[in-house]
Amino acid sequence: MESTFLSLSNTFIFIAFLILLIALLPLGISIKSKSESKKYEKLAIWMIVIAFILELAYFIMRWLATGHAPVSNMYEFIAMFSIMLIGGFLITYHYFKTKVFGLFAIPVSLLLLGYGSLFSTDVQPLIPALQSNWLAIHVITVTLSYGILSMSAVAGLIYLIKAIPADENSWRARWLEAVMIAILTVVMYMVTTVFMQNIIGYNDEFYYTDQQGQQVIAEYHLPSLINYNDAIPVEHVGNNEYEPVDHFHLGIDLPPVIKAHTLNTVVWSIIIGLITYGIVRLIIRKRLFSLVKPLTKKADLALMDEIGYRSVIIGFPLFALGGIFFAAIWAQIAWSRFWGWDPKETWAFITFMFYTIFLHLRLNRGYEGEKSAWLAVGGFILILFNLIAINLIVAGLHSYA
Amino acid sequence: MELKEIKCNHCGHVNPPGTQLCQSCGKMINEDYDKKKIKDLMRYDGSAVRSKVRSQSIFDKIWNFFTSIKVGVGIIAIIAIAAAIGTILPQEYFIPIGADPLQHYTEQYGTFGTLYYKLGFTQLYSSWWFVLLMGLLALSLIAASVDRGVPLYKSLKNQRAKKHASFFKRQRLFKEYESNENAQALAETFENKKYKLKTDGDHYLLEKGRLSRWGPYINHTGLIILLAGSMLRFFPGVYIDEIIYAQEGETVSIPTTDGQYYMRNDGFTLDTYDEDAGTVFDQSLQNNMEMTISNFQTDITMFENKTADIVGSSPDLEEIENYSIRVNHPYYFDDYELYQSSYDNSQMKSMTFRLEDSEGNVLGENFTVGLDDPADSYEITEDITINMKAYSPDFLEIDENGTLISETPVPTNPAFVFEVAAGDTSELSLLQIMNSTDITQDNEYSIKFVEAEEHMASVLTLKKDLSMPIIATGFVIFLIGLFIGSYINHRRIWINAEGDTMKIAAHTNKNYFGLKKEMNAALASYDLPEVFDKQEKEENDKMKG
Repeated sequence: MESTFLSLSNTFIFIAFLILLIALLPLGISIKSKSESKKYEKLAIWMIVIAFILELAYFIMRWLATGHAPVSNMYEFIAMFSIMLIGGFLITYHYFKTKVFGLFAIPVSLLLLGYGSLFSTDVQPLIPALQSNWLAIHVITVTLSYGILSMSAVAGLIYLIKAIPADENSWRARWLEAVMIAILTVVMYMVTTVFMQNIIGYNDEFYYTDQQGQQVIAEYHLPSLINYNDAIPVEHVGNNEYEPVDHFHLGIDLPPVIKAHTLNTVVWSIIIGLITYGIVRLIIRKRLFSLVKPLTKKADLALMDEIGYRSVIIGFPLFALGGIFFAAIWAQIAWSRFWGWDPKETWAFITFMFYTIFLHLRLNRGYEGEKSAWLAVGGFILILFNLIAINLIVAGLHSYA
Repeated sequence: MELKEIKCNHCGHVNPPGTQLCQSCGKMINEDYDKKKIKDLMRYDGSAVRSKVRSQSIFDKIWNFFTSIKVGVGIIAIIAIAAAIGTILPQEYFIPIGADPLQHYTEQYGTFGTLYYKLGFTQLYSSWWFVLLMGLLALSLIAASVDRGVPLYKSLKNQRAKKHASFFKRQRLFKEYESNENAQALAETFENKKYKLKTDGDHYLLEKGRLSRWGPYINHTGLIILLAGSMLRFFPGVYIDEIIYAQEGETVSIPTTDGQYYMRNDGFTLDTYDEDAGTVFDQSLQNNMEMTISNFQTDITMFENKTADIVGSSPDLEEIENYSIRVNHPYYFDDYELYQSSYDNSQMKSMTFRLEDSEGNVLGENFTVGLDDPADSYEITEDITINMKAYSPDFLEIDENGTLISETPVPTNPAFVFEVAAGDTSELSLLQIMNSTDITQDNEYSIKFVEAEEHMASVLTLKKDLSMPIIATGFVIFLIGLFIGSYINHRRIWINAEGDTMKIAAHTNKNYFGLKKEMNAALASYDLPEVFDKQEKEENDKMKG
């Protein structure tokens, strides 16, 4: 019975992924078309609604299969965030009929889901620290608030793309272009990793001594540019036995304090991202954001500003509730202290402080429109940083997600 | 500059110094306010905000410093940046217990690590300057809330329905109509939408959700309580954080309770998931090299000492309760909590040996030496006895006069000198883990190690935190204020039906789109044109221009 639920759940999210991908087509047509007909828009929205329902079904089925809320590891957590992004879009659309949001929110949601599936998608039983009802309460509130806060960044990005002339010789235009390059780099990172790891199956193994003096294996899914001091290229010959072989290695060696294989991926992403950017620039001979600018033509700036602000005042209290308060209650029960400045906790605190600054600047110092849009985009970068980078770079108590 | 009260030349109301909009009729009465300091007159309803009015005395200057939003945001930003710096390297409480911090950071992170340690960033969150920043934040919260909250409260409490024509034009949503025939009906329509109506002749004021305006002051109050509560930990007795180490079967006194409470460790359990249980988890469990732990548990019996207050008496323990402490399921008693922290099986409980003769034949029974309180002699056969001449629980070296030196009293690396006494002969040998050395020459007998048994000990965390209820209350108040301020909208609609025309203006602290929608729906039911949104026009003009 449980395994039926599980395979159903996996099928549901896969179909949802495909539907969302296809829905971009009618959505794009409805935004570009000049006719008054709402045929394509309706089709796109219905597809997104169905995909969202399938994603909720994934969630329920996986819960039924495992007996615990499917938010207990990196894959499940990122998938949840990606589902909440679609939820956030549907809520925003319901109130403001902002279809253009979908063209930004859906690709981000799909990329996140793709990225999440790079981690193990197996269902895992709960370790003692996670065996608590607070797991579901805490994580669902946090991801919901992330989904809503992300809408503020989408609104901000649309605002900036529309308000800033693509040929303007100014810092704001350069910064916006930098944001676009960053997005492109992240996209290229995800595409390359999925391609190299899941399709090509590139896997070079290196044997090295880590910080604690333990002998461990690093898996390189991209050719090694940067490696650990005294790393030996090896190959798994089965039964936990390794034999030295030859692997490509450029020759940069770093001490084990730095996670060289993560840094290697980051360096590759930047190289591939910049090369792709260079090629695109050569072809279009304009700034990258001028490509997406036509999509924002019909966007109403005052409405974008309003959505950007309202998403923050709706999402921020939820974040304070789920990300700080519920988190503190659970931390007290599980770890005997409600606050301990663990890296993940600290970055939740920083995110909290950032949105506090956002609200004070907006309410008291008139940071509306463009300034507010920049801050909203910055907030999303912080959320992504806390979601992804903290787990990859530093090891804290939140080692599972 | 002399600060004078301002009498409104329109309605005659006397306003406190520094007021911009007459608190009675809303007419601009103070043209020369600092436009740089006050961007939105309606934010505090044009009332006099102390910090924007006085800047003469030293107190004024200090007051203005802490009430400044710029300063407040600056403090928040510095705290956030400092917090981020603290995550670059692990804080000191995350490094291995007992390691020398300077040495650890230098070895692990090189020069950067040394510098990071020397700058005090390894204990950043408890450093004096981080605590000071939190204190400054508290001052800023108090000052800013009083500075703006009090005049806003007065202004909203005393507001009247009748407003000057210029006040109408000042509002973001505004519209003039040529006929006033629907004014009364319109006001009633809004009343049905839960607006509170206040009339003054032909003037109407409709208001709802004023509570929303107190949200920021409620949440700031909560934060001040929280910050004050977190300072309570500096008082002795408020915060207790102890480790309890109890071997299986051992009864220990609970620290800091003055011998009033005791607990017995009835057994520690460590369970793992079964890889072949036939569940959906089998695959991931099999992929994982190590066993996945499903449960840590210490069964305890709690005792209260009936003679705790009698000095020098031996404890008279009365059983209170049995409980199984697990992760996520601490045991609560009095103001204390007991948490499952970890376990320890590094201490040895006993070692078992056997005696062999020179041909390797085992003689008699194996003998077991209890390491906590070892016996002096062990009878092997009728004529052979083994006597323990020396014992060191954690062997370091042999000193000059032949005794064994122990590094610690904990049995982790035991060593013995045994004498095998058979009739008249006596042989001595030194036994350690993995090693045995003859002391006397040409020994006929040899003692061989058979097995060792470890103590299983639970490590529990004892916590008491009297500041927690205050901190929790503060945060709950903060959340309530935050939700009130964010989820409720304060909406006011003014209708002036004097003469033959009708003016409508509206203000809200947020969500003008919602207010506009609500108003336009009501206006449409009387076939009246929609209200005009000043800001929307400005935004779109900016784009065209």
